[in-house]
Amino acid sequence: MRSWRSATAPTTSLLLALFCATQTANASPLEKDLAPEQRDEAFADEPPVTDEQRRHWAFRALQRPQPPQVEDITWSRNPIDRFVLASLEKKNLKPAPAADRVTLIRRLTFLLTGLPPTPAAVQSFLRDEAPDAYQRLVDRLLASPAYGLRWGQHWLDLARFAETDGFEQDYMRPNAWRYRDWVIDALNADMPYNEFVQLQIAGDELKPGNRAALIATGFALCGPDMSDLNLVEERRHNVLNDVTSTVGAAFLGLNIGCAQCHDHKFDPISQADFYRLRAFFDNLELFKDRSIATPEEATLWEQAKVQLERDRAEVQAKIAALERRVSDGIAKPSATNQKKPADVEKARRDAVFAALKRADAERYHRLLAEQQLLKNKKVTLPPHARVFFEASATPKPSHLLVRGNFQRPGPQVLPAFPRIANEANLHVKRNAAAGSSSGRRLQLARWLTRADNPLALRVIVNRVWQHHFDVGLVATPSLFGTMGEEPTNPKLLDWLATEFPRMGWSLKRLHKLILTSATYRQASRGASEEARALLSQARKIDPEHRLLAGQRRRRLDGEEIRDALLAISGRSNGRRGGPGFVPPLPTEIRKTVIEQQWRVTPEESEHRRRSIYLFVRRNLRYPFFDVFDGPDTAASCARRMRTTIAPQSLALLNSELSTDAARYFAGRVLAASENPREQITFAYRWTLGRAPRGDELKLSETFLRDLAAQSYNRSSRVDSGLALPIPYPFGGDPYDAAAVTMLCLSLINLNEFVYVD
Amino acid sequence: MAIGEHFPIMGTRREFFLRAGSGIAGLALTAMLHEDGGLAATPQSPLHPRRPHFAPRAKRVIHLFMHGGPSHVDLFDPKPALIKYAGQPLPESFGPVMTRRNVAQNPLKPPVLPFRRHGKSGLEVSDFLPEVAKCVDKIALLRGCHGDSVNHPQSVYQMNTGSILMGRPSLGSWVSYGLGTENQNLPAYVVLPDPGGAPKGGPPAWGSGYLPATYQGTLMRPGSDPLVNLQPPPDFGGGQQRSALDLVRQLNARHLDARDFDSELAARVDAYELAFRMQSTAPELVDLSDETQVTKTQYGIGESETSEFGTRCLLARRMVERGVRFVQLYSGNKLGWDAHKNVETNHTLYCRRTDKPIAALLRDLEQRGLLEETLVLWSGEFGRMPMSEQGLGRDHNPWGYTVWMAGAGVQGGLSYGATDAIGLRAATDKVHVHDLHATILHLLGFDHELLTFTNNGREERLTDVSGRVIHEILA
Repeated sequence: MRSWRSATAPTTSLLLALFCATQTANASPLEKDLAPEQRDEAFADEPPVTDEQRRHWAFRALQRPQPPQVEDITWSRNPIDRFVLASLEKKNLKPAPAADRVTLIRRLTFLLTGLPPTPAAVQSFLRDEAPDAYQRLVDRLLASPAYGLRWGQHWLDLARFAETDGFEQDYMRPNAWRYRDWVIDALNADMPYNEFVQLQIAGDELKPGNRAALIATGFALCGPDMSDLNLVEERRHNVLNDVTSTVGAAFLGLNIGCAQCHDHKFDPISQADFYRLRAFFDNLELFKDRSIATPEEATLWEQAKVQLERDRAEVQAKIAALERRVSDGIAKPSATNQKKPADVEKARRDAVFAALKRADAERYHRLLAEQQLLKNKKVTLPPHARVFFEASATPKPSHLLVRGNFQRPGPQVLPAFPRIANEANLHVKRNAAAGSSSGRRLQLARWLTRADNPLALRVIVNRVWQHHFDVGLVATPSLFGTMGEEPTNPKLLDWLATEFPRMGWSLKRLHKLILTSATYRQASRGASEEARALLSQARKIDPEHRLLAGQRRRRLDGEEIRDALLAISGRSNGRRGGPGFVPPLPTEIRKTVIEQQWRVTPEESEHRRRSIYLFVRRNLRYPFFDVFDGPDTAASCARRMRTTIAPQSLALLNSELSTDAARYFAGRVLAASENPREQITFAYRWTLGRAPRGDELKLSETFLRDLAAQSYNRSSRVDSGLALPIPYPFGGDPYDAAAVTMLCLSLINLNEFVYVD
Repeated sequence: MAIGEHFPIMGTRREFFLRAGSGIAGLALTAMLHEDGGLAATPQSPLHPRRPHFAPRAKRVIHLFMHGGPSHVDLFDPKPALIKYAGQPLPESFGPVMTRRNVAQNPLKPPVLPFRRHGKSGLEVSDFLPEVAKCVDKIALLRGCHGDSVNHPQSVYQMNTGSILMGRPSLGSWVSYGLGTENQNLPAYVVLPDPGGAPKGGPPAWGSGYLPATYQGTLMRPGSDPLVNLQPPPDFGGGQQRSALDLVRQLNARHLDARDFDSELAARVDAYELAFRMQSTAPELVDLSDETQVTKTQYGIGESETSEFGTRCLLARRMVERGVRFVQLYSGNKLGWDAHKNVETNHTLYCRRTDKPIAALLRDLEQRGLLEETLVLWSGEFGRMPMSEQGLGRDHNPWGYTVWMAGAGVQGGLSYGATDAIGLRAATDKVHVHDLHATILHLLGFDHELLTFTNNGREERLTDVSGRVIHEILA
């Protein structure tokens, strides 16, 4: 019985065909692959998971390694360092010295809040001589509400979050912001990661009636959706595949989506595994925003609807009563075809009005007006969101789809955890109904967050690590299968994965552990000759910088650059939460979508909110983020690319965002001092977090003087504009002032501004 | 020839990051040195010119995209049976047809205008296109093309990316990725949208998908300000910017010196110099003042109906002349050639706008010796149904339509493939969009199965798991 399977034979290159052939030849299912309760119609015909495949580092059971012994016993601050140091010592390498304090606070502040440190914050950290100054800085930043705004973005990248459908219509999802806000709030509240995951997979089943829990389930549903597809089944099929692929990638680091048309070519993920995972979601009702009203709100809404009906009936009754008084005296309207019903009705009312006594006539008039008002009145809908909902506790059977074709159902499958990630062979209970829901997802949620789920734990600690060091211990954060990279320090990865549940799944505690390590605090460059030599030696032996002798330099993301520009120019609008804003765009870009798809938010101050609140249209990425490698939201993004291209330079030099920032920033500089040296120092402190060195001060002074003179000379020849600051101080010298603006523009274009050491 | 030799970036995605990061210094510097023959194989910029797998026939591509779906049965695919059976319903023998707007039961509609034989080849072209008809001996008509979706955005995506889903790399991105570009002072892949608006589905049509953003299409437009953010705002001009750039350069040099000349930082320094140069090369590119009046007249510049598209066609020639690798022109705003209501009025308008400029482009390219190495591709996202819609219009037809190619190793005066008797479905020598892409890549010197990029552990390619090179149309 290999009918459906033979139809799935891969048609690609010979090599791949051979590979698959050897993999599936003589395959017979292994008893330990699926618990007896889980054996479905696809099981008998499925290639087994071999012991060798189970030995792949990512799938092995977690064992807690001891931090290794190291030669240098002075360097380590916590166990992380011993793992890192041991791997360095093995190669005869030494860690880099610690970074200086200015570098540390700038690095930390961008990492945890997505913003530059203010000069005041830098000064206070520099002056803090207490031994725990660094720890307290970490605590302060972790407690800042801006933490959720930065780390929320990392999670939204994974969730392929956008606020429209994509495709031609690219319809708005007016409630999408609720999920974004939920992520930010959950992270700020340091919601334990296991709960964070459980709510996103099964918040509706875990906490029925809880609004936040419902909103959390928006995770899987914020992907692309072609709403005007001819066939609803096809639309449903596409969305369910996207949900399944995203869940597999985000929580398990598996490219399970690869198995929707055929068995995975390299990893032991069968096509049946894909549809079994999909079966957890097959029972969902899709495509509609649903009420997330609390019972009180729902009751109020019901009451308001009833009340409105009652009011309408009451007025109608009063009108009818008045009309009855004069009904005899009114000629029946002639039933001609030529008149519209509305005209006939109006004529009738006019006749009633004329026939009534004056006081009654006036009352009649008032009642008619009131009736019109009530007719137009609508009861405001209670809050809605796109959330998980199952209408039936007994799902219809799920099927494997032959070659991924939704019109070709193959053998029936039962919901089950991917075999390769389920060595314990845990099974999914069939009768676990929770209210109107099948209760299947709740079981998936609990399985994903077991303290002994090796894959899920390795995946999350690696994701957190990645953003601290720019690259994860596993460089392919959503690809933990055999096609991904090996971990550079597998013991450290496993130690973190076992430590994390012990810390109560607290992301903030995990941050703190990493941030207070000596590993994190290393310099990224050599300040002394000796340090330079050390780092240069490390580059030779470890050119890809995987052993972590020294920190990695990191370019800011587009969101961080924009937020920093608003912050230094004193223009940031700190309003948090609620619907996002739509900023203006250059005309030629706006014209790439139809007009109603980019309606600029009227209130200008809204345009200056943090980047995470910038409306995410799937079909038109905000150009500034686009050019700085923002994710495309078509699929889960675990790691952004980083390119260096000329259009980035053009955007930072010439876009309105930059030039406005330079003008307003210059306004602050001029307000701070009239003395050029002080102005320069002020500008350096805000952009780079430090005072200028002697040669930089000199260069900058010369720049101001020469440019002012040059502009003055030019102005006598041509009448061209000057980059005046905003506000431009009354009575100032415009040439000097414009030179300050250009100094500000120069500073925000520096490598030092857009990179963190 | 080992692939790795010419595709140093074909390793893992991680390697790609590192190389892209370390190599982009080349954007300006390395590439310039290369052009002068001054530097051997050093770390490569992602846009550094690269050789393909084998000797190419085409070095660059101009894609004329008639957005909305031009009617093949009214332009390039004459069907006498449609005249004969006009007004009758689709015979049952054609079986059920999936359509966008339920037109399967509607009466057959004859072509709006007569077809005539043209050129030495005697190929038939409709009277809608008198000028292109005169060039028919340069053109290979692919009359048996087909795709997979009756919807605009999906088909726009498919014609561009091979996939009906959003977010895959476009043909232009693949070509830039594979070949780099010859002029480092201009974008490798330029898109000239219709001034009326972008195609349905929007910018993902020229997106780079999982390829780095470097390879996505760059929007350009005629006029003095051809690229977004190219020029400083008026108040920041007049030498102020050059002074700022000098300061940035000096301060960056100090910063770089203290960081062991980190190649990623160095790349960013060079990117600023390139940006500055683009401020003069891009306006020079779109400045038509050095074109003769004769040329402009040939392209229809100055005539109300053809001026706009003619200008963009002339820009396309100037771009390929300067080494831009892939130029895509859209005709048609968000509705464009989508003649649901009335083929005659719609196609009269759009054929008038494009016919003369396209013919001029072909002749001009040939005259300048550019056509030998430039592939010109004409397509919509699909064709139109032989049945009528609302009496005078036609619905979308992805099941059979015509695409044509000219130049760069393509035989002129040739027709390949055919639809059925009424133009409903591709019937013989069928050409799927994947086959079209495979053929284009072949002309550019690529084995379409080997031009891959590893994404999420999968070796992705433009043609997914299919694609056949149409050798029959190659000269």
